[in-house]
Amino acid sequence: MPARPLSKVCYVEDDEDIQRIVRLSLERVGKMTVEVVSDPMQAIDAIRAFGPDLVMLDWMMPGMDGPTLFRRMKETQDTSALPVVFITAKASQTELDELTKMGAAGTISKPFSPKDLPEQLRAIWAKLP
Amino acid sequence: MNRSGTAEGSVAAGIRDRADPRLVLADRVDQLYGQMWLGIVATFAIGAIATFEFWNDRLRELVLFWWGLVLLVTAASAGLLYGYRRSADRARDPDQWLRWFAIAALASGANWGFAGAVFFPSHTDEQQVFLAFLLAGMMSGGIPVYAASWPIFALYAAGIVAPFTYVLATFGNRLFTEIALLVPMFYAINVAVAYRLTQVFHSGYRLRHAYGKLTEDYSVLNQRLERQLGELEEARRQVEASGRKLALFAERAPIAIVELDPSGVVTQVNPAAELLFGFAAGEMLGGNVKERLVLPEFRNEFDRQWAQLITERAPISGLRIRSPRRDGLQVVCEWTVTPLVNNEGTLIAVIAQGQDVTRQLEAERMKKEFTSTLSHELRTPLTSIIGSLQLINSGVLGDLSQDISELTAVAERNGTRLLDLINDLLDIEKIESGKLTLVPEVFKLGELVRESLVLNKAFGDRFKVRFELKSPTETGAGERAVHADRKRLLQVMTNLLSNSAKFSPEGGSVDVTLEEAGPMLRVGIHDRGPGIPENFRARIFGRFAQADSTTARHKGGTGLGLAISKRLVEMMEGRIGFDPREGGGTTFWFELPRHAT
Repeated sequence: MPARPLSKVCYVEDDEDIQRIVRLSLERVGKMTVEVVSDPMQAIDAIRAFGPDLVMLDWMMPGMDGPTLFRRMKETQDTSALPVVFITAKASQTELDELTKMGAAGTISKPFSPKDLPEQLRAIWAKLP
Repeated sequence: MNRSGTAEGSVAAGIRDRADPRLVLADRVDQLYGQMWLGIVATFAIGAIATFEFWNDRLRELVLFWWGLVLLVTAASAGLLYGYRRSADRARDPDQWLRWFAIAALASGANWGFAGAVFFPSHTDEQQVFLAFLLAGMMSGGIPVYAASWPIFALYAAGIVAPFTYVLATFGNRLFTEIALLVPMFYAINVAVAYRLTQVFHSGYRLRHAYGKLTEDYSVLNQRLERQLGELEEARRQVEASGRKLALFAERAPIAIVELDPSGVVTQVNPAAELLFGFAAGEMLGGNVKERLVLPEFRNEFDRQWAQLITERAPISGLRIRSPRRDGLQVVCEWTVTPLVNNEGTLIAVIAQGQDVTRQLEAERMKKEFTSTLSHELRTPLTSIIGSLQLINSGVLGDLSQDISELTAVAERNGTRLLDLINDLLDIEKIESGKLTLVPEVFKLGELVRESLVLNKAFGDRFKVRFELKSPTETGAGERAVHADRKRLLQVMTNLLSNSAKFSPEGGSVDVTLEEAGPMLRVGIHDRGPGIPENFRARIFGRFAQADSTTARHKGGTGLGLAISKRLVEMMEGRIGFDPREGGGTTFWFELPRHAT
């Protein structure tokens, strides 16, 4: 478990409605600082600039999907060590397993409950080394 | 008998051996009795002449005595013959009749012997010649009468010649002594002739019976042959009929049927195959099926399957191959391929039956795409709707007026219901198409039950129902592990708990128990609801099953929960069911195999 509490989260998501809900959930319920990135192509730069504790990625995005972005992050020095949590509407267990195998810290399936989302993120955070 | 006769004789002997010896004996006895009247008449007539010839005053009593003997013997013989003729079952005991006949023959012979011994010394030379002639005649004349049995003839003739020979030998006359030496030789020659005749008769009778038996055998054989011929003819008709039927099946079958020889050359195709591939039969016949009907990229797979088929000679089904059509389009066929092996184990042909699954595959692809779209496109907006409402209802964004918060609660609840319905529909679709894969792990069932109660507490609160765990989860059955899909089992628990909560009276409790049942672990969920109507019990685990459709509107639920639960439990090799609960209510239960550790 990391020594400090989870406080800075970066979220890459193209759907503005979901962005808003996640931001409200994490800020109001979870009392965290949130940076939302709409364009996955600019995500790596944004993450570098923001310096989050944890990154949340959507699976399906136009331009570049979550797993591709995740691989890019792994290849980039500043972002390679960041824990990544996927939020996905894909329900298949094999696909979720695939993400975990790729090195994702956790998965949260859509639809998630914004009331419980900060709690879920903190639980994943607590399990990190 | 010459050498060539031996071979024929042995064949005849072979046939003769088939005769029944008792029937042959009966025939011989019949032959003897058949000739008996001749002996009786001859004895009587010759006896009368002899009596007349021997008559003189000096020997009157002796001649009369002899004549009495003649009458006695003929009368007794006639009586015997009469008895034989009248006997209904004379063939059943031929030995007995033969013995009686032998006695009669001996008596007759001895009668003549008596005449020879008594009258020879006492008569004149002329009369002696007459007597010698008479005796010789009687002996030779006996041959045809007794020919069917030479021992009887020997007995009869011995009766005649033995006393006469003795008298001749002891007469004291040299000529008579010489005659006495000749008589036994004459006797022996006669017996030999009788012996030969007996042999001929015997052989003849045996042949007659053997041929009779053979004829009988042949007629039985003939009948059997006729019957078998009839059966063969019937079988031929059946084969012909089933051949016609088979040809008709192939001709009218809606699926493509292709016959191949063991090297893969097309030897026959049916009209459906012509229609499916667009080639005329003539264009396919004689060509290799791989070149004509298998697209190049499928040929490796085809070769592999074909090699397996040839070596294992086991039918293959579900073989999907993409084939070119004459018009340039492609069809995907699902083939059932059956090798035809004869009794000697040689592969003689391969029958391939193909069904066009092109459209089916397309439908499957579209369905998959649709399911995927449903999954993503419906859930994404619902995420926003339910998420927003949850945030509003949670109060973190500030207080709302009561009217508004009531309405947003309605909106959230129905949004959740819609989501449940979508999830359930996706689940059942996945289960029924066999696409749902479980992720089994080993865990303690007690822990999972406890977790499910925590997760569903809020749902119970909504219906003012408490979930109460009645069995300890730290000991006994609670400590036992199962090998199951944890997430899916939680889904089953949630379905059963929410179901029970919905039908429990307000303020009531739903009891949850956990126990061992043989090799299984059993979880029971006991409610105090109204029970399940009789007419609904049979279809409670069916799809969209709800006893009362108004319940769905009042309490929510998709009617798929129990159907999904049943399929999930069965996929985990368990059982699910329900029983009426004593004192009212229902117990839903499921059982899973206990894990070995």
